Amino acid sequence: MGLVGIATEKILSSFSVFLFLTILLLAVARRISTSVLLFGLQSAIIAAEVFATAFQEKLPEVYIVGALVFLIKVVGIPRAFFLLVKRLKTVRDVKASTTPTQSVFIAAAIIYLSYAAVHSYGGAVHVPDDPLAAAVSLILTGAFLMVSRKKALMQMLGLLVLENGIFLAALITTFGMPLVIEIGIFFDILMGLLLMGIFTFRISDTFEHLDVSKLRRLRG
Amino acid sequence: MRLTLDILQVLILILGAPLVRAIVARLKARLQRRRGSSVWRPYAELFKLLCKEELVPPTSSAVFRVAPMVLFGATVCAAGFVPVVHASALLGSRGDFFLFVYVLALGRFFLSLGGLDGGSAFGGMGASREALISSLAEAPFLLGLVAIAVLAARADIAGMVAWTLGQNVFNISAVHILALTSLAMVTLAETGRMPVDNPTTHLELTMIHEGMVLEYSGPSLALIEWASAIKLHTLLALLIALFFPWGMASSGAAWGIAVALLLYCAKVAVLMILLSVIESAVAKLRMYLVPDFLGVASALSALAVIFTMWMKR
Repeated sequence: MGLVGIATEKILSSFSVFLFLTILLLAVARRISTSVLLFGLQSAIIAAEVFATAFQEKLPEVYIVGALVFLIKVVGIPRAFFLLVKRLKTVRDVKASTTPTQSVFIAAAIIYLSYAAVHSYGGAVHVPDDPLAAAVSLILTGAFLMVSRKKALMQMLGLLVLENGIFLAALITTFGMPLVIEIGIFFDILMGLLLMGIFTFRISDTFEHLDVSKLRRLRG
Repeated sequence: MRLTLDILQVLILILGAPLVRAIVARLKARLQRRRGSSVWRPYAELFKLLCKEELVPPTSSAVFRVAPMVLFGATVCAAGFVPVVHASALLGSRGDFFLFVYVLALGRFFLSLGGLDGGSAFGGMGASREALISSLAEAPFLLGLVAIAVLAARADIAGMVAWTLGQNVFNISAVHILALTSLAMVTLAETGRMPVDNPTTHLELTMIHEGMVLEYSGPSLALIEWASAIKLHTLLALLIALFFPWGMASSGAAWGIAVALLLYCAKVAVLMILLSVIESAVAKLRMYLVPDFLGVASALSALAVIFTMWMKR
């Protein structure tokens, strides 16, 4: 118990701080591969929190969820992304419509906002402030990434970041959803990723680029 | 006893500085599969330069001669604020972190004046770039330190370190991570390291520090080079003292100080390895991207200050 118990406590109390760091780094990342690595890191942090929750609340099925998170979000999805990037032979730049400074200020504002929003709510339901604020800001950052990056791949990544946020919020408020639903969600993500992967291939085939801001006209 | 320790700390910072710089260069050389020069060479170079005759451009004024001395004095003075082996410093009770930042700024100001006064085109270019970078780096530097000072409720650096020593290692707060990130970026910019300036060459048009010192020779050049090495060492020591001070001696016992000194060397070694890896892996930023780099640092440190409202470490 001793050492593992202390480690779980520390993970639950202070790992959300690293989530904020990944959010800020995602805002400044210039390359798609960097963003994918950051997403993998973020998912690894969330997986650690899942395992810590499982240990602390003694819920065996949450271990399975944690293993799924690790396999799918830390190993599977980043690999799929790297494969996509390699196959599509696209430019490495994320084509941000804001400068890095603006993005990081927006991300900072998002984190501030989510703290302000969560502050009054967290005390009422006995949930620690930090992880809940991290979850809300992950959701908002995912949405921000989707609207501000022009590459189709980055919009998939934004959606995944958003999903990470929803997952984290479910984890801290209710110790995760039931296993069946969780598995269903993972299946959804994988299917969505597959579909979006096919779509990006189609986009790059017909338009010879992946810039969604230029998708104005229909083309046969 | 305390005074001796404080003086010892400043001496470590000043005399160890060329060594730190040389080891970083050596590590970089090794990473690039070169052998690199001896780590003791900077001392020999300083000695050689100090023995040489000084040549002064005929068009320059007294500012050109005074600038290196002011720079060296200011940097040594700044080194007196930073704790190394125990949580107090020689000038610890005589000034707060604002003084620390602006004493360093004074040195930079005089160096760019000297660069302008030298009369060469490169000097002027380097000086104007230096002015741009230092004005942009000032905000994140100050704000990062403000965030820690607010948490510690102390304004002197030694007091902040003493407060951090009393905290738990594992309860990291967002404030510390954000402030550490922004101060590390500022350190890279302030000391002219790789993503901002290239310290190894004076053969390119984008040089900043090397451009300013191009006209200097002899003892003046020695003072400038030594001062910039001291600045690098001082800022690394500042990062260690503010964020990883655990292991510093709490009493004046000799073995405690020896352990603290060994731990300090280990921490500096880790930072030097990190620095050399960053310098080998990252390409130099275009001049117009440097404001972006420092803007990110500013945003991080502003966020750190805002976070002090919520965080109780």
